[in-house]
Amino acid sequence: MTTVESRSSVAAVGERWARVDGRAKVRGELRYAADQPVRPCLDVALHRSTRPHAKITAIDTSRALAAEGVVAVVTGADLYAEFGDRLMTGPAFSDQPCLAYGKVRYVGEPIVAVIAHGAKQAREAAELIEVSYDELEPVHDVDKAVQGAPFVHDELRPSIVFGDLKHLRGKRDTNVNYEYNLRKGDPSSVSGTTVSYDFWCPPTHHVPIELPYAAAWCEGERLELLATTQTPSYVRQSLADLLDLPLNRVRVRTAPLGGSFGAKMYDRLEPLVAALAWTQKMAVKITATREEAFLLTTRHGCAVAGSMTADENGMIVASTSDVRYDTGAYADVGPRITAKSGLVAPGPYKIENVRVRSRCVYTNKPSAGPFRGFGVPQVTWAHESLADELARQLGEDPVEFRRRNMLREGDVAPVGTPMHSADFLGSLDAVTEAIGWGTPFVKQEGTLVRGRGVAVGVKAVLTPTISNAVVQLNQDGSASLLISTIDMGQGSDTIMAQIAAEVLCLGEGDVRVVQADTDVTPYDTITAGSRSTYHTGNAVRLAAENMRDKLVELAAERFGVAATDIKLTSDGLVSAQTQETVSVSELLHGHFGARGTTLTAEANFTTSWQPYDHENGLSPQVTEHWFAGAAAVQLTVDTATGRVHIEHLAVAGDVGHAINPAMVEQQLSGAAIMGIGHALFDQMVFDEGQILNGTLLDYQLPSIKDMPDKLTPIIIESPHRTGPFGAKGVGETTIIPLAPAIANAVRDATGVRITQLPLTPERILTALEEQS
Amino acid sequence: MTAYHYPTTLDETCALLDDGEDTMVYGGGTAVQILLKQGVLFATDLVDIGGVPGLDEITETSKGLRVGPLVTLRRMETSPIVRRVAPLAAEVYSRVANPRVRNTASVGGNIAHGDYRLDPPTALMVLDATVELTSRRGSRKVPAREFFVDFQQTALEHGELVSAIEIPSQPESAGAHFAKLSSLAANDWPAASAAALVVERSRGKRDVRLGLGALSHVPVFLQFEASADTSVDDVVGAAKEAATPLLDPIPDVRGSSDYKRRLGLVAVEEAVRNSWKGGSDDHRRVSIFGRRRR
Amino acid sequence: MREIELKVNGLRRKLGVADDELLLDVLRREFGATSVREGCGVGACGACTALVGGKSVSTCLSRAARFDGAEITTADGLPADDEVVDEFVANRAMQCGYCIPGFVMMAHELLGENPQPTDEEVVEHLEGNICRCGTYSEIHAAIKAAAARRAARNERATA
Repeated sequence: MTTVESRSSVAAVGERWARVDGRAKVRGELRYAADQPVRPCLDVALHRSTRPHAKITAIDTSRALAAEGVVAVVTGADLYAEFGDRLMTGPAFSDQPCLAYGKVRYVGEPIVAVIAHGAKQAREAAELIEVSYDELEPVHDVDKAVQGAPFVHDELRPSIVFGDLKHLRGKRDTNVNYEYNLRKGDPSSVSGTTVSYDFWCPPTHHVPIELPYAAAWCEGERLELLATTQTPSYVRQSLADLLDLPLNRVRVRTAPLGGSFGAKMYDRLEPLVAALAWTQKMAVKITATREEAFLLTTRHGCAVAGSMTADENGMIVASTSDVRYDTGAYADVGPRITAKSGLVAPGPYKIENVRVRSRCVYTNKPSAGPFRGFGVPQVTWAHESLADELARQLGEDPVEFRRRNMLREGDVAPVGTPMHSADFLGSLDAVTEAIGWGTPFVKQEGTLVRGRGVAVGVKAVLTPTISNAVVQLNQDGSASLLISTIDMGQGSDTIMAQIAAEVLCLGEGDVRVVQADTDVTPYDTITAGSRSTYHTGNAVRLAAENMRDKLVELAAERFGVAATDIKLTSDGLVSAQTQETVSVSELLHGHFGARGTTLTAEANFTTSWQPYDHENGLSPQVTEHWFAGAAAVQLTVDTATGRVHIEHLAVAGDVGHAINPAMVEQQLSGAAIMGIGHALFDQMVFDEGQILNGTLLDYQLPSIKDMPDKLTPIIIESPHRTGPFGAKGVGETTIIPLAPAIANAVRDATGVRITQLPLTPERILTALEEQS
Repeated sequence: MTAYHYPTTLDETCALLDDGEDTMVYGGGTAVQILLKQGVLFATDLVDIGGVPGLDEITETSKGLRVGPLVTLRRMETSPIVRRVAPLAAEVYSRVANPRVRNTASVGGNIAHGDYRLDPPTALMVLDATVELTSRRGSRKVPAREFFVDFQQTALEHGELVSAIEIPSQPESAGAHFAKLSSLAANDWPAASAAALVVERSRGKRDVRLGLGALSHVPVFLQFEASADTSVDDVVGAAKEAATPLLDPIPDVRGSSDYKRRLGLVAVEEAVRNSWKGGSDDHRRVSIFGRRRR
Repeated sequence: MREIELKVNGLRRKLGVADDELLLDVLRREFGATSVREGCGVGACGACTALVGGKSVSTCLSRAARFDGAEITTADGLPADDEVVDEFVANRAMQCGYCIPGFVMMAHELLGENPQPTDEEVVEHLEGNICRCGTYSEIHAAIKAAAARRAARNERATA
């Protein structure tokens, strides 16, 4: 078990420290990427495909080239001539060119870049470009794409990032780019009460309010880039591969992000500006408009055909899931989503007979990539609707039914990995108690009917991954922390400072996190998947402990005592034997003989896993740890309009140990509010591959008016044995069970089971009509 | 390229509007900016009337209100004169978009935009407002009920601008209510809206007037007569029956025609139930549709 | 081009602007106002909000040429002891922070017009601002706290 380090005075971990950048954020003085000073840049605008699937037969750029202010016009073919197949980037498959050449695969795909003096000039010139197409039959529907032709790509092109995809190289005549199978026991061998449905989650968009931005220029023999990215280490490697440069000739600078939720990772605008800057030897920049941001990446639409069977004792004995993720025209990280979500598709239950088939499918739509929850909310939509319906069909309380079947500490999940620090029971009990589950309530008032629902969710943390941290202790006792985690609102700059401060007995404001910059800060896999608190947090903890050891050594030397005699306190280093004390400032001054010096310590934290078996999908250690969350809701449905109104929403997540409870609560609430949108109205609507609601006038996001009357975030702490001070991440935990909790409450209120998201008033009214 | 013009008199404005090939008035600018941004505005000349004095006045007249085209929606919402003389108009203007948009969007531009989903036309029609159109050729008056001609098309002709809206006083005895129902996020455009005004006539008769938004390709007006002793349920029934044949909503991401038609009748019911005074079942007027705007 | 004069956060400047230039771009470029930001470009998110003569404006929908002689306040130009800012900080009304200055300016407008808003009035006033991180409860609390603090200060002043 973890032990919280003892210290002689003020604590840092577990405290509600204020965000280090809170006031600057409120006053609008914090500089996001587009606010950072860079050298003067030319502006880039894109001419985009108007066809979902077509061969490019000719491109006429002459009018654009002649337009006022235009400096250069670059086509995908131009870049392909320069870079060859290196133009194709992507984390799982090298399938996406930053400008299309030969063929377009979705409406809105960039084909030509215009570089001009001024964004307006660039945009106007981009409209003057004429592209001729030879149209190909498109495929928009995931189930049609699974069946066969037309094919979005001629052959599969696994990247070198994930070695386990190698066997797919060169595979032809398929839109299925990855398939994960989980086989345990035999679901067809058991009998009992079975429920089965076809579920659907539509594609959605992240809509961080900060728009994507990237600027790039050549600095002598190097390429420098400043971008809105949550994955600087990945981007450096990706650009080094694209430009065929050693890593030390690519520099990726970052800034705090104005939200991301998965939208700003891997290859977005970065390969484009890097390729343009490198080939044209110009400093260039681009800020996506909101309409363009909708085209950069999306959340996977997902179909699940699922079933769940319980025996006469109310035990779940079988679960099946056929999952199809619509990854759009480019795979991005879809294959990883397919596997990571497939392995939790049965839910957090003890089930002996499980079959999961999870597939990642190309279609002619904008690419889908990572989104808060990494595909898990889509499978949770299925298993939590099924578990609820099964309980109801058995005449059981949905909470009791879940409690009986839930995985507990030490239990082995269907995927084969044991559970630890994943308190589903505690989370479920907390949320049901909060909303008064089991207490009587008025079922009907006029046209309003009232109901309650719950759901739980499980997700595995991204494994294996790597984090590094460097602590610089300055001679005056202040510290700088060099990590490549990006603060995008989750508060990592504050939390990491708290971890370092806890070990080094420093106070609020004493530790500053240096902005990630690949020239300066060390490698970190990504800031995503709720991994930073645990992984980077552990690297920070270890680096700080190494620093503490160094200080102890120096003090022992100074006092002429054994290192074991020295203790670091908030007053400095103390010798138990001599009762002498020296401040860090004096100690370092004495050691170096100068003011302003720095002492450096570093650490690496890497996790490992046992890859799942390709046949049966099982692994005794598929992940470093689990996330466990629950949601309970009381709501009304207006039977005249179909509208849902949430009266009380309670959400809980097991975070191991809350480094900063205030920020944990904000993550729990924030993910829940995003989940409300996904449950009730948030979706991208396509017609023949064309987005119909790609502006914020039409795309629906929860506003303050959509808030529940009451929202209760609850922190559950079952410390993780290897977490920093027992901590784990929390960014995704409560979005996972949110939609099914609401649907289950709608079921409770109305008696209808809706299997398609979102639960629009129209869908609810139609279902009510079909019922009566 | 679009040319911008900055007239300082109404005459100059009219001349500019008439002379250009495809001219458009730039009033508050909210709708024009969005159309420009979306690349679907193809005007050759934009005539910015911000510098023309006298277009942003609210005047109380013997018959009611005269409202200049540059009066912002927010002023219609907050003006004590509007609240006193035409409270339904103040209420409906207060429900458009959000306060920030209402600070900029203007009364004239709002109706000239001709969007079938707009809230203000519903009130202007039931209050029997008149739109004054001015051009080089002089002024003419078009009843609000006839102003919305077709999908995003109004009675405005080339060279004309909305120079005023005249809103008759709302009778003190009249019952009024505006119902706005969204189908997605709570702050979204309406999927159906209805303004009701119940006006006392002589001999125990009442006029029930309804203005409907988002329920056809243009804002819809209807009215019928009912005797004052009719039960509210019967009036609601009559209103729904009268409205039904007029509902022809455009399907979009906010719902199918069928759903919007259904929602439209809910809006009609809410508006009528809350504007019909008296009757034996007064208690049912407590909004059965829950919270006012949530 | 139009010659206009703007007073932004107390600083008066004459400048030339193109006919179709947005106030948002002018404020950022000419006045270094980092707190106004494009989020949607259509007035639907509120990230570009500034106050013009005390009234909130979507600067992404506003042509600068229209604002000759205007007095404009942006969040980054608020005084160091601004109560609304202090209460947003104290109530942790920020996550990624990108949308927050827009909420701060909407709060200023609201409290200027209505010093003691009800909960419903707060919600009505903020309905056109989107916080994608979901910080609405904290923002709401901050505005109520700022209102209470102003009321207390005014009471002291009149006592």
